[in-house]
Amino acid sequence: MQDTQTTESPSIPSRSSTSTQDRSSTVGQTLSSAPQPSKPTPIIPPLAKSTGPGSGSGVRRMRRIIAEDAEWSLAIVPLLTELCIQHIVKNFQNNPILKQLLPEHQKKVLNHLSPDLPLAVTANLIDDESYWRRCCTQRWPVCHVDNHGGSWKRMFFELHLENLLKHFIPNTTDPAVILNLLPLCRNYVRAIRVDQFLPPVQLPAPPRGGDQSDSGSEGEMEEPAMDHYQLDNLVAGLSHLEELDLVYGVKDCGMNFEWNLFLFTYRDCHSLAATVKACHTLKIFRLTRSKVDDDKARILIRSLLDHPALEELDLSHNLIGDRGARAAAKLLSHSRLRVLNLANNQVRAPGAHSLAHALGHNSNLISLNLRLNCIEDEGGQALAHALHTNKCLTTLHLGGNELSEPTATLLSQVLTINTTLTSINLSCNHIGLDGGKQLLEGMSDNKTLLEFDLRLSDIAQESEYLIGQALCANREAARQRALNPSHFMSPVTVKGPENPAG
Amino acid sequence: MNPPGSLGVLEEKEEEHLAPPILGPSIHSDNPQERIQARRLRIAARLEARRREALGEYLDGKKESEEDQSKSYKQKEESRLKLAKLLLCGTELVTNIQVAADIREIHRRVEEEEIKRQRLEKLENEVKTSQDKFDEITVKWEEGKQRRIPQELWEMLNAQQVHCAGLIEDKNKLISELQQELKMKDDQYVKDLKKQSDDICLLLERMEEQVKNVMKTFRQELQNIEKAFEVERQELLTSNKKKWERALQAHNAKELEYLMNRIKKVEDYEKQLNKQRIWDCEEYNTIKIKLEQDVQILEQQLQQMKATYQLNQEKLEYNFQVLKKRDEESTVIKSQQKRKINRIHSTSSVLRTPQAVYSKKKRIYSKNLHDVLNNLRSKYNKQVKQFQEENQSLTSDYKRLVLQFKELQKAMRHFALIDDKRFREIWLMNEEEAKDLINRAFDVDRIISTHHLGLPWMAPDFWFLKNVGPISQQQQKSATQILEEVLMEAEKEGADEDSSESETYLDLPKQVSARTTRKILMLLCDESGFLIESKLLSLLLPLEKNECYLLRLDAVFSALGIENEDDLYKLVNFFLKYQTHHSPSSQEPLDLRAEKERSLVDGKSQEKEPPPSPKLIHPNDVLKILEAFVMSLRKPRDFWVPVKLLKAVRDDSKDSEYWEALTTVIPATTLNLWDALYTALEKYHLVLTQRAELLIENSSLERQNTELQQLLQQYLDTKINSELQVPPTQVFRVPTK
Repeated sequence: MQDTQTTESPSIPSRSSTSTQDRSSTVGQTLSSAPQPSKPTPIIPPLAKSTGPGSGSGVRRMRRIIAEDAEWSLAIVPLLTELCIQHIVKNFQNNPILKQLLPEHQKKVLNHLSPDLPLAVTANLIDDESYWRRCCTQRWPVCHVDNHGGSWKRMFFELHLENLLKHFIPNTTDPAVILNLLPLCRNYVRAIRVDQFLPPVQLPAPPRGGDQSDSGSEGEMEEPAMDHYQLDNLVAGLSHLEELDLVYGVKDCGMNFEWNLFLFTYRDCHSLAATVKACHTLKIFRLTRSKVDDDKARILIRSLLDHPALEELDLSHNLIGDRGARAAAKLLSHSRLRVLNLANNQVRAPGAHSLAHALGHNSNLISLNLRLNCIEDEGGQALAHALHTNKCLTTLHLGGNELSEPTATLLSQVLTINTTLTSINLSCNHIGLDGGKQLLEGMSDNKTLLEFDLRLSDIAQESEYLIGQALCANREAARQRALNPSHFMSPVTVKGPENPAG
Repeated sequence: MNPPGSLGVLEEKEEEHLAPPILGPSIHSDNPQERIQARRLRIAARLEARRREALGEYLDGKKESEEDQSKSYKQKEESRLKLAKLLLCGTELVTNIQVAADIREIHRRVEEEEIKRQRLEKLENEVKTSQDKFDEITVKWEEGKQRRIPQELWEMLNAQQVHCAGLIEDKNKLISELQQELKMKDDQYVKDLKKQSDDICLLLERMEEQVKNVMKTFRQELQNIEKAFEVERQELLTSNKKKWERALQAHNAKELEYLMNRIKKVEDYEKQLNKQRIWDCEEYNTIKIKLEQDVQILEQQLQQMKATYQLNQEKLEYNFQVLKKRDEESTVIKSQQKRKINRIHSTSSVLRTPQAVYSKKKRIYSKNLHDVLNNLRSKYNKQVKQFQEENQSLTSDYKRLVLQFKELQKAMRHFALIDDKRFREIWLMNEEEAKDLINRAFDVDRIISTHHLGLPWMAPDFWFLKNVGPISQQQQKSATQILEEVLMEAEKEGADEDSSESETYLDLPKQVSARTTRKILMLLCDESGFLIESKLLSLLLPLEKNECYLLRLDAVFSALGIENEDDLYKLVNFFLKYQTHHSPSSQEPLDLRAEKERSLVDGKSQEKEPPPSPKLIHPNDVLKILEAFVMSLRKPRDFWVPVKLLKAVRDDSKDSEYWEALTTVIPATTLNLWDALYTALEKYHLVLTQRAELLIENSSLERQNTELQQLLQQYLDTKINSELQVPPTQVFRVPTK
């Protein structure tokens, strides 16, 4: 209040003097010609602003001027509530008053608040979505609020945190920057999606210009120094965290590329495992493109065993081999995992065997993704055998796994029996013409499968087309079932198509 | 078309939908009865479902027909299929790139593996060969140590050097090969990157295209669906409108019909009502008449009964009386018998004692007397009672009659007054008119006599000219008025007494003079002071003598019951008559009697005679006379009413005379005179008119003359005359004026 007065009071006389000049000029104009309608507008705003009691003389002068103005009316004078709201907005940083106001006034205040206000003030005070929406749209050009549960506030905090994490440089940046934010965002952040973790900067730059081929081994030697930010404190602080989506890598490195920029160290792995184990609310855990090898995967999965809430595990685009797959298979029987994604790893037949073994007795898993692995016919047959007994899996992705006719024959048998599978992807395999025919036979008896991807798998076009027809019929049937549920038994598997579609 | 998400929602709905049937009796209920019922219901539901499934085809057929019917549904289905296909194809198109990339990757991997394997083999081979070579070289070093001959040693060293160089060369070759491979890989990597970026670009393009396409088609389909819906809606609207209109028309028709029916019904009911009403009226009337007749009959019967009752009562009373009489008689007889017995006893006893006999006799007589007396007394009492009753009834009758009479009188008086007033008004009106005419006639007469005849004119003076109002009304003066007049005239005592008397009392009883009257009245006033209230007397003291008399007389008259002029004159006459008739009996002096007789005779014969002196009446007699008068007045009072009525009848004998006199106000002689005058004046008028004509002629002639003279003068004065040799002026002389 004091500040505004002191800042405004010197300005008022000048304004009034200018306005008097305006007035004289307007008077002169009125003498010569009709008054300009645009003139009053520069006069009135000072009146609206000069709310302080110290500006009485200015107001008086104003009034004299305005009295001669034909267009002046009482309606232009702002209401006291309006003035108060303006004042509250102006001084919100120092004296946040919101909860005590009436709802309509709250709304007005929120509409006029600046999005640049410090989070310490606004975070726990403002729940209004429109304010956070303004904040978001001001900071980020593209905002997908759907990815954040439809809440702008949550989106703001999640993106803000993500931003901080992305640019956190260990040993250089003060960890308090993030930890200070923790009390503000702990109730709102539900997901952390970080696609880059910066490594610590080494000030005595090691000789880079030397041999490039040795840089990788160099990184391994300096491993302890290459640890990334430890999430344990942060995750422990976030009470509602449900999703953790991490990529240990650096984006946009350009010509500064070094192998050790993309290094997921054992310490990182251990701390992450401990973090994940401690976070009991976690439902989705994604760790992709982070060079997770078998050992690290085992460390992580060991910590995830018997996790109370975990539903989705995504370790795609890593270096997981059969041992890691075996660990994952163990996890399947020791958790309530619904979605397992091991796409683009190095799982081979033994891993597939263990997975199939786990799958045979599992009743939780809905989706299994083994795209771009190399399980080959041996693994494929094992999985197909497992599907004979499994009554839960709806989505199976086996694209690019060097499968061929034997797997197809077994799968066609599965198709005739299984009533839960809705989506199978066998693209980029070598199924061949005969395999295609067998699959078509299997399809002819199936009424539940809605998607069956057989592109680039050496099948005859005719069988592919017929399979497509069958799928269409199945889709229609599913739709009819959804529309007229009374005539059929309610199929649990209808939910399946969500995942591939999403 | 339906996204899978909505499917999930639908499924949930479906589950919700499935839930309600269990809401009734639950299978999981604790109550066994309820559980049984629930199971029964479930079985029934299953049977029903089976039956429906059997009828499924029929239902489907029905559905299809429905689909045929609804255009929008067809359109929707079509659009849905189209869009689903589009989406599917789009996703396939987009994912094709991924799949292609995948397969490329697989191929690469396979190749990579192959190459790797080859490379490893090569390296292993290389290692083996190089190891062999190295071993060879090392063996040779051992050999070289044993050489003592420098040439041999030099040779061997040279060979060794060559071998080493070969080995190194091999290694270098390998290294360069590998490096080359690495370079190729680098190139490959760059190419891959390029390819990848291209793929991504393509992907983006496709996605964009897909999005665009999808949006476009969705929009189009939406439009189509909307159009279809619109059309269907329109059709529905029109059909519904038609239906509605038809229904409305039907409704209107029905309404109209109902209305007509209603109106008809109303009319019918009204008719019925009217009929009913009339019938009721008639019935009512007949019943009424009948009942009235009954009432009359009953009343008659009642009257008859009453009459019979009266008769019986009288009879009974008579019987009762008779019986009483008989009883009395019987008692009398009894007593007689007793007495006789007593007598016999007494005689028997008398025989013994004459004294006792005597006393007994005496007692018997007294008893007899006593009985008779008793009888008489009772009779008397009865009589008295009877008469009293009679008297009572008669007085009440009398009173009633009097009241009636009085009311009648009042009415009579009122009507008489009104008649009089009206009569008077009419009279006055006519009189005024007549007088106007008479005045005009008089005026004319006066003008004729004074102007034309030059005779002095005298206004004729008739009595009737001064008369105003009906003549007979002058008689209706009250006694007091007469009194006043009498007294006033007596006061004057002027010379014109006679004339005034004659005029005033022209129609009064001629026999009484004013003076006599006055005298008598004075006497009356003096002597009958007892009739005046003492209060009035005290009030009269300060008044004048005349007024005092007047008021006293007024009081006396009111006491005596004298109300009007007639009564007054009657009184006066009575006084005079009394003197004449009663003087002998009352020992009056002869003079007085003679005087009175004379006065009486005079009053009848001539007025000019001096009236008899009232002084001759002795004041002592006044009271007697008055008494007698009052008594005599009482008698006529009984039949006073008819007298009064007779008096009220106006005497109109004079009226005709009066009006006749009014007509003959101009005597016949004057009329004759007027006639003669008229003829003479006419003649005179004739002469005058002739003269006037002559005068006019004369004047016109004179004017002609002057004009002619002027003309002549003109002609004479013209210049031609002078030019002429013989001027006409000289020929004839102009006659000078």
